Amino acid sequence: MIVAEEITRVYRMGKVEVRALKGVSFTIAEGEFVGITGPSGSGKSTLLHILGLLDRPTTGKVLIGDRDVQRLSDRQQTLFRLKRLGYVFQDYALIPELTAIENVIVTSLARGLPEAEYLKRGVEVLREVGLGDRINHRQSELSGGEQQRVAIARAIVNKPSILLADEPCANLDSETSKSILDLFKQLNDDLNQTIVMVSHEKWHERYFCRIIDLKDGLINCMRECKVSR
Amino acid sequence: MLKNLKVASFLAFKQIQRGSKGTLFLTIMIIALVFVNLVFLPSIISGVIETFNAQSINFNYGNLIIEPREGDQYISDIETLQKKVERIPGIVGTSPRISTGVTYFYKGRDARSTLYGINPQDERSVTKIHEHMIRGAFLSAGDTDKILMGATLAGSEGEEGGGLPTLQGVQVGDSVEVAFPNGERRTFQVKGIYETQSIGVDTSAFTTTDAVAQVLGLSDQASEMLVKTSENGQEEMYRTRLLSYAIQQQVFTFRQKAAGFVDQAIQSFEIINAISTLVSLIIAVVVIFIVIFINTVNKRRQIGILKAIGIDKQIIINSYVLQVLFIATLGALAGFVLNAGVIYYLTVNPLVFPGGPVFPVVEPATVARSIASLFAVSVIAGYIPAWKTAREEILDAIQR
Ligand SMILES: Nc1ncnc2c1ncn2[C@@H]1O[C@H](COP(=O)(O)OP(=O)(O)OP(=O)(O)O)[C@@H](O)[C@H]1O
Ligand SMILES: [Mg+2]
Repeated sequence: MIVAEEITRVYRMGKVEVRALKGVSFTIAEGEFVGITGPSGSGKSTLLHILGLLDRPTTGKVLIGDRDVQRLSDRQQTLFRLKRLGYVFQDYALIPELTAIENVIVTSLARGLPEAEYLKRGVEVLREVGLGDRINHRQSELSGGEQQRVAIARAIVNKPSILLADEPCANLDSETSKSILDLFKQLNDDLNQTIVMVSHEKWHERYFCRIIDLKDGLINCMRECKVSR
Repeated sequence: MLKNLKVASFLAFKQIQRGSKGTLFLTIMIIALVFVNLVFLPSIISGVIETFNAQSINFNYGNLIIEPREGDQYISDIETLQKKVERIPGIVGTSPRISTGVTYFYKGRDARSTLYGINPQDERSVTKIHEHMIRGAFLSAGDTDKILMGATLAGSEGEEGGGLPTLQGVQVGDSVEVAFPNGERRTFQVKGIYETQSIGVDTSAFTTTDAVAQVLGLSDQASEMLVKTSENGQEEMYRTRLLSYAIQQQVFTFRQKAAGFVDQAIQSFEIINAISTLVSLIIAVVVIFIVIFINTVNKRRQIGILKAIGIDKQIIINSYVLQVLFIATLGALAGFVLNAGVIYYLTVNPLVFPGGPVFPVVEPATVARSIASLFAVSVIAGYIPAWKTAREEILDAIQR
């Protein structure tokens, strides 16, 4: 379960203050597939960063599984990200010096999995996102959409209990997007994974249990979706 | 812990494998040159010391030198003393010498220096002058009218000694007149000319004990007795041993005799060496620091990403330290090879110092110390920039 309580985030740039989040509260149950929508600049990425322990809220609290994650030390947060979270960045954030497979398996390596296992799993995940023939390519040798799918593979390779994805389909054609969303849905169904995903596309809604719509750093509306499962 | 090391070495390996080879090569070469600089000068200094010691032992003093008791001019009963010393275990040779200041006359030129009266057989058992004859032959027993001259003293036609005594062109077979301190003059025929590169020796001359003793009216006496021990480097121990055998005369090690000169030279060298070491290490620090700094600054974003996906900061820092260790290892190896080349060159073409040719001596301790300081310096210079960059907030690193 993820609980957000009155989260605000203020960016200070010299004398100018940008209030990216102005007090956002919600609860996401375990196994929920939640979509976050809203216009550009409404605070979606900011919110996801905070849920992903990449950023700390200016005020407010985030509980994940009853744990006040803001209280964790830097090192504990890093470990938490490694063990519990998968994160797909809006701009992919791949390591340019590593190949697709190496980008995917580096967290498995850090988790201490045996080599044979993480290599097998890494290849499997890259196949699932449709990159079975791009395994040894580096970032510079991949298209935007392919890079995005490597980022997705990296986020799901360890089957994290919470998957946070920031517009994971932004650079994908609708067919590939659909296969990625189907994959997410499958993880959500099979492993009861909690998924929070930022999205712009109306047609994604049929995958979500619920939509949190942001506007100007506040929740504009929250609505259940007619889940087609 | 082991898995953290695995991740760090994985990242380090990939960065080296896929990073700029040019930068890598340059950095390794700089470390190599620093290594050469760290090892080279001390090896020359060791070489100078070694040469000086060898010269002292082989030509000037033997390992030990026995001199008359305080106040006496000569050691008397020299034959008895010689037998006594030669019976002491570990003593392999003794050579009594009579030394006297004389003036040489040759073709209207004259020069003042020391003439030694030696017993050729005994002298061969201690010094190596007989192996350094450049013309003619060494003395034999009974050569009472023959003389050996140092190359500097014999000199060459038309060359002034520049402050050193020289007769400017004495040849083997020539006659040289010698004026002794008691006013007596004798003519000697030059039997050979030697060159040891030791100034004091090359400006002297040798004849037989019998010849000098006759002129000075000495019998069974000597000014000094050179002693050779079975191995070099144990002079203190042998000195104590000689004293324990109730030798009444003064016993000195060659080091004591040569002390003032060498000690001063070594001290100056050590200062030069310390400065050169310091400068080299500072260069190494700066270079490695800059390389890793630029490297980490360029990789800010990627360091941020690694942290974001759950890689511990320490692992990231370690991956940079490992890269530095790798660079330092290759640098030290390259330096070792480079140094071996320089040393080989200087062994074939030795530097010539006043004490003689100097062969560089690479001491394992110096190499070990250089490697250790290079690594220490590298790790520090690699750690700090990595640590600074890895401390940054994740989003700051990723987004800007
Ligand atoms: N590091 C930052 N410094 C200052 N302002 C920031 C920073 N990051 C975001 N902002 C501001 O905060 C607000 C919310 O940004 P955010 O990235 O969360 O928007 P978003 O909803 O993800 O937009 P998009 O759909 O374009 O990705 C924006 O006005 C943005 O300019
Ligand atoms: Mg965004």
